[in-house]
Amino acid sequence: MKLLDAEIVNNIRIGEGLYKMEFFSPYLCKNFKPGQFINIKCSPEGLFDPFLRRPFSIYDIENNFNVVSVLYLVRGKGTKYLSGLEKGDNINFCGPLGNPLSFENDKKVLLIGGGIGIAPLYLMAKKLSGQGALVYFLCGFKESNFRLLEKDFLRLNADYKIYCEDGMWGEVGIVTDEFASGKNKFEDYKVYCCGPLEMLKKLQAIFSKYNNTVIAILEEKMACGIGVCMGCAVKIKQKGGFAYKKVCSDGPSFNLEEVLFG
Amino acid sequence: MVKEKGPNLKVNLGTIELDNPVITCSGTFSSGLEYGKFYDISKLGAVTTKSFSLKPKKGNEPPRTCEVACGLLNSIGLQNDGINSFKKDHLPYIKKLNIRVILSIFGQDIAEFRKIAKEIVDIRQDIIALELNLSCPNVEKGGMAFCTSTDDIKNITHEVKQITKIPVIVKLSPNVGDLSMPAISAREGGADAISLINTVIGAAFDIDSFKPKLGNIQGGLSGPAVKPIAIANVYNLYKENILPIIGMGGIYSWEDAVEFMIAGAKAIGLGSVNFVNYMAGIEILENIKKYLTSKNITDINSIIGRASDKIKR
Ligand SMILES: Cc1cc2nc3c(=O)[nH]c(=O)nc-3n(C[C@H](O)[C@H](O)[C@H](O)COP(=O)(O)OP(=O)(O)OC[C@H]3O[C@@H](n4cnc5c(N)ncnc54)[C@H](O)[C@@H]3O)c2cc1C
Ligand SMILES: Cc1cc2nc3c(=O)[nH]c(=O)nc-3n(C[C@H](O)[C@H](O)[C@H](O)COP(=O)(O)O)c2cc1C
Ligand code: FES
Repeated sequence: MKLLDAEIVNNIRIGEGLYKMEFFSPYLCKNFKPGQFINIKCSPEGLFDPFLRRPFSIYDIENNFNVVSVLYLVRGKGTKYLSGLEKGDNINFCGPLGNPLSFENDKKVLLIGGGIGIAPLYLMAKKLSGQGALVYFLCGFKESNFRLLEKDFLRLNADYKIYCEDGMWGEVGIVTDEFASGKNKFEDYKVYCCGPLEMLKKLQAIFSKYNNTVIAILEEKMACGIGVCMGCAVKIKQKGGFAYKKVCSDGPSFNLEEVLFG
Repeated sequence: MVKEKGPNLKVNLGTIELDNPVITCSGTFSSGLEYGKFYDISKLGAVTTKSFSLKPKKGNEPPRTCEVACGLLNSIGLQNDGINSFKKDHLPYIKKLNIRVILSIFGQDIAEFRKIAKEIVDIRQDIIALELNLSCPNVEKGGMAFCTSTDDIKNITHEVKQITKIPVIVKLSPNVGDLSMPAISAREGGADAISLINTVIGAAFDIDSFKPKLGNIQGGLSGPAVKPIAIANVYNLYKENILPIIGMGGIYSWEDAVEFMIAGAKAIGLGSVNFVNYMAGIEILENIKKYLTSKNITDINSIIGRASDKIKR
């Protein structure tokens, strides 16, 4: 974990409100592991508006060029600031933060991403297929603004399927439609998922009937990102009740069946 | 080897001696472990721990933080693993990292403070001071009630000091109006110093869902938004000359830190800035040194309370 400045190599709009930022970071290329995240300062040097750093996943790593990329949706002040940065500008980030996922022994993997939740999964898909695992990447989007990412998916040595609610891309519907038949097509798969709360809740209900191990990468508002403030608490089931765990330093991934959604 | 001679940075808060005035605020630095990965935190004047209670405390319902203009609302609810966890899990690395530590404690009533104090007696030599959190706005029963009762402040301070024989700092809340009475009670109880301010009560609501943005509805505001409130309190209490002051609330830069000292703070506490700039402690310390050198000031004590010069004359 280091606090570093990095030079932006590219920061392009790839769809409505969706951007991909690439920056030069030999350190992250070497040390970042899927499942982790970085905390980016989204204001000019010396200024603190917005006040807090913002957490982001790493979408892809290009080891040959020492470049990493962040896929992000413009939501508010922080991401709006990022979207205005240009090639040659610097960002200040801290990372890698959080715990890496251990998937070295996974042979068959189902990745389920909803919206921007695909961001941490793409790199996983790449690494998993690289290690010879059978990967099925299931993605769900509200709108087709993520459509240009299809060329990234095509480059993966993995099967993928797109659900899109606006009917403009892939199949019409939402990812959980994949399980509508009530039959588990992925019996011997390890599952990783990331996405909106509603999707995670539905998946929790669906997989409660099956035996798969399901890991969820969670999001929570963060203040420090390094385990100090206790701000990013989630409820994790425990004997006789629950315990608060910190998404930033105990997670961000947890066993989906153990998460107690509010 | 000739030792470079910089300005004197040593300050005393009653019987508490600090190598320099830069301290971290309770709840914003854990006990230092995480920040030790970024810089040598033994260089700080002191590190104040998260507030510990007698027994573990679960904390409040999420969401627990909410960013607002120039600040942060939090309703963590004093989540902590209890005083024994401090002794068992934190103290070993505190010693290893050579941190000068101020232990922050809080209780629901005098009896709990007494019990915590007894737990601390055997680690007395490892702690430079105790900070009594009598002021956190997150806990309905605890802090707020004490801060309004000057008798409680006096009695708790007195008992804790009697039992532990450790210097005591009383932390005050800005939510009770005038801080003179609580400060005087702290002095009567035998406190060595006061620290101010704790967070300011605040709330925020979502205009789409109509819901509060914090699980606990209300929380404590920190960050640059509260700085003028803190500065005014420090300035007023300094003039009354009740006890040495550790000033905190919205410090983001070395300039802010110097401003607090000029208002009357003998030491300064860095809080939420640590969430944004993980190197804030060391950077602010180094820049205070540079500031003093550039102004040919040889002793930091000479700037403390300078804002009141006119009034003194
Ligand atoms: C571990 C982790 C990894 C993440 N990875 C990515 C990523 O790769 N790409 C990406 O686009 N986003 C990611 N996010 C979400 C991202 O941090 C938020 O979108 C961002 O903080 C919004 O900042 P803002 O200033 O633009 O919006 P704000 O003005 O702060 O908020 C705008 C909206 O975004 C919501 N929001 C704010 N912070 C978060 C948060 N931490 N999590 C969820 N929603 C939030 C708010 O509730 C609000 O509705 C991640 C979050 C976490 C916790
Ligand atoms: C997330 C968070 C947790 C805090 N926890 C405590 C605590 O446990 N005990 C305490 O006395 N003060 C606590 N505080 C208050 C700070 O110590 C400090 O008084 C306040 O934040 C003002 O300083 P700042 O504006 O620099 O953050 C907390 C503040 C924040 C932001
Ligand atoms: S964001 Fe501070 S503990 Fe997780």
